[in-house]
Amino acid sequence: MSKKKNSIIPHGNYWIIYVLPALLFYVVFMAWPLLDSLRLSLFTGNNIATRKFIGFGNFVRLFTEETSRARYWGAFVHTWYFFFIHMLVQNCLGILFAVILTNATMKGRQFYQTVIFIPTTFAVLVTGYLWKLLLNPVWCGDVLSKMHLSFLVRPWLGESTTALTSVALISCWQWMGIPTMMFVAALRNIPEDCIEAADIEGANAWQLFAHVKLPMILPVVGMIAILTFVNNFNAFDVVFATENVNGAPSYSTDLIGTLFYRVGIAGQHPIGIPDTGMGAAIATITFIVLLLGVLPVLKATQREQ
Amino acid sequence: MVISLRRKNKHIGSHVVMCIWCLVVLFPIWVLLINSFKTRLTIYTNPFWVPEKWNFGNYSTVFKDGNFLLYFKNSLVVVVLSLALVLIVSSFASFALANWKGKASRRLYLFFIAGMMLPIKIASIKLLEIMRALGLLNTIWSLVPIYVAMGLPIGIFILTEFIREVPRDLTEAAIIDGSSYVRVFTTITIPLTRPALSTVAIYNLIPFWNDLWFPLIFINDEKQKTLLLGVTRLFGQYQTDWSKVLAVLTLSAIPVLALYLCMSKQFIQGVTAGAVKG
Amino acid sequence: MKKSSRFLIASFVLTLLIIPCLVAQGTQEQGSQKVVLTMGSWRTDDVEQMGRLLTEYKKIAPNVEIQFQPTNPPDYNATLRLQLDSKTGPDLMYARSYAAGQELFNAGYFADCTDIPGLMQNFTSSNLAPWRMPNGKMFAVPFAAVSHAVYYNKDIFKVNGLAVPTTWEEFLAICDKLQKKGITPLANGVADEWDILECFFLGMLPDYVGGASERVKYESGEKKLNDSSFVAAYQAMADVAKYCPKGYESVTYNDSQVLFNTQKAAMFIDGSWTAGVYTDATFNWGVFAIPAPKGRKTAICFHPDMAITMNTTTKHPAEAKAFLAWLCTKEGATTASKNLPSGYFPMINFEIKLDDVHANEFLALNSGKETDARFVWPALMDLYSPMNQAVIKVMKGQLTAQQAADSVAALKK
Repeated sequence: MSKKKNSIIPHGNYWIIYVLPALLFYVVFMAWPLLDSLRLSLFTGNNIATRKFIGFGNFVRLFTEETSRARYWGAFVHTWYFFFIHMLVQNCLGILFAVILTNATMKGRQFYQTVIFIPTTFAVLVTGYLWKLLLNPVWCGDVLSKMHLSFLVRPWLGESTTALTSVALISCWQWMGIPTMMFVAALRNIPEDCIEAADIEGANAWQLFAHVKLPMILPVVGMIAILTFVNNFNAFDVVFATENVNGAPSYSTDLIGTLFYRVGIAGQHPIGIPDTGMGAAIATITFIVLLLGVLPVLKATQREQ
Repeated sequence: MVISLRRKNKHIGSHVVMCIWCLVVLFPIWVLLINSFKTRLTIYTNPFWVPEKWNFGNYSTVFKDGNFLLYFKNSLVVVVLSLALVLIVSSFASFALANWKGKASRRLYLFFIAGMMLPIKIASIKLLEIMRALGLLNTIWSLVPIYVAMGLPIGIFILTEFIREVPRDLTEAAIIDGSSYVRVFTTITIPLTRPALSTVAIYNLIPFWNDLWFPLIFINDEKQKTLLLGVTRLFGQYQTDWSKVLAVLTLSAIPVLALYLCMSKQFIQGVTAGAVKG
Repeated sequence: MKKSSRFLIASFVLTLLIIPCLVAQGTQEQGSQKVVLTMGSWRTDDVEQMGRLLTEYKKIAPNVEIQFQPTNPPDYNATLRLQLDSKTGPDLMYARSYAAGQELFNAGYFADCTDIPGLMQNFTSSNLAPWRMPNGKMFAVPFAAVSHAVYYNKDIFKVNGLAVPTTWEEFLAICDKLQKKGITPLANGVADEWDILECFFLGMLPDYVGGASERVKYESGEKKLNDSSFVAAYQAMADVAKYCPKGYESVTYNDSQVLFNTQKAAMFIDGSWTAGVYTDATFNWGVFAIPAPKGRKTAICFHPDMAITMNTTTKHPAEAKAFLAWLCTKEGATTASKNLPSGYFPMINFEIKLDDVHANEFLALNSGKETDARFVWPALMDLYSPMNQAVIKVMKGQLTAQQAADSVAALKK
């Protein structure tokens, strides 16, 4: 592109001022409290008075004690599956919708885009209630049977084989608006010339998408993959709203987010005694997993200047 | 699944796809709306059709209960202020990080986005202590700094990428012409990244408005509660008057939807205004 | 530009809001002598009743105002914990019994209540036990107990010529008859998990296992948790699953109440605290004890549920203590009982008559029967979750009764 103009580009000292306000908020209200809490993973217990330093004891116990290990690996696998469903359904459909919505000559785009976004504005409580009602054979069984759809009458949220997929789909339904919106932004950013050129060369819709559009929105695809990944690993509300904090039935909808909440914040019902040290250990491991997942994707999809 | 994107046809395939999705979205919303006009038990006798007797009592109770408007006001203040601060602070930081070369810049960038990867709930005790020390506990102001800190990683993540997309020629031409970086920032970069700013605003709007956790642990005072917190008290331990809850939740979704529509208008204007010609 | 207009909107809204806040501030400056205490609880449905109770207390202590600030039950544990840890907790709060409460006392959050006047004298030893530390110190004042029974639709029973069962076999026969007539016998579901355990299984367990004197044998290891009594209890749950609504795997606690309330189900095994939900029911209903199988004696699970205690870091210990002491007097306890939500029973020694018909119905079930708290509460709380999962699995047919019992017994330390 243009020649390097090193004399014009300022040094770090100049830029620091721009970053300072962000640093202030971030360090005081996020970084320091989080790091301080992660420090707790090296201590036992749930009580400021009786805390003891045990080094990596919590981590060891998490992976060696039978129930802890079963819960952790269960949650880990479930979370990956949850992420897989989101990538497949939420993000692929998101791209599809965005491609449709960036069609200059199509009517009703604003309406469709708003409709896609409406579930996103709802509190998860509402979504949980609505879908618990709709997926409940006790309330919906009669209506569905009359419409000759009795094969749909199952306790979708109550059977361990179907519960996780159902919850994941509900979550996709709710959050569809965000990736769609971001993909629309990205697609709109593609210069008109590129599209016209491909059109002139006789590319059909699929070729246009695969060879022109997709490569140009790759950074955004990467960004959304990262955001989905991070959000799924911290996902908690949707399980809380549709099932309970244990990841019922039989822990089949237990995610890392719910495991963390149950262990580190709320404690097992009804006693409610959390193990903050162990919770911090789970959060630390999650952080490491996320870093390991995010950094390669960042490198692969973000453009370096 | 080949969707025809040729400009000549009527996009029938696209419309079919979109209509199917609209059904999937609008049917549950229909259920939400009609059930807010029923009474607690009649929701279950007839979950999917219009009520036999329309019960406006749920909505009128909500307005008579003076606190609903207060909760709404609290939420509005917190969310608007937090969003404004997130946008301002993260756009400055992103501008710097996008233009500043070097190891320090890359490290700072990673430092910021690391915040997305940890559940902030884990830091709740420390945050409670900080708020108590600042004297902000039990007020809506305790929520603002936390939301800003929560919104910054995403803001910086998205904005840095979009600012990088702004062609260098434009900014460098302006620098050569003698304008300061600040002017470049305000007159060139910001308008071109309006879609990204709207995206950040919309992305953060939802968790800020619908957050239950921090208001729950910071605020006990009735007068300082946010909308969702105030509303969840309607969930009794075992009795849940869902018809009332649905009415309130419908009402509380309307401002968010309105805010979204405002921001998405900005978003579209920004996109068409700043369309980059290669 | 967007940024500046956003600024304007924000500052405009801010100014609009600061004004009423300042006005509100002004009016609060009066009334200097008043002491305000906060009371935390998980009972968000009792706001009205507790409000009445606290208004009554105000007549006795005019300069003390107690504000009832409950938190929703799913959030209660976490919220309370955080507030106590960061010293922002309420002055008074509800205390759960046994291990859950003991832990908070050990952590230094609950105050020592042993020398509150009237406490040790006016309650029986067994009523004080749930809130007593092993060394004898009391950490709360007992407030209310709950019971568990079978709610039944009297009208449906009458129409079908059914009588209240006295044995478990009769109960199953009634369920069978109702099901053949196309009526869902039981409203219970397993989606929320806790209700099938606390209300049904643990409510029924004293029938199989006996009262408190037998329970301690299990706790000490003298009797095994997978003996024939337990296996029979799990088997009973397996037998009853087919009488629960079709799709009971998705039926939540709220759904169950609605099923019973709309007469879609004839019976509901639940705790006494739900009695208030059916006050406006359009049908006649009553309760009967969960019957024991033939050859065993029916026992009732009468569970000490709530006590009130004070925060060690409260700024007004004298006033908080005064309130607790009031609850230990005859007048205080009577007023409290009159304002207790339906289905909660006073635990104090004095003779207190309750006005509610159904409350008395519940209490009447206790006569002539052994009672005990919920089995796992006193000393086996670690087994709560495993037992819960075992009950659900046995109902779904994923485990046999023996396997279920074994899985829980294996975890006993």
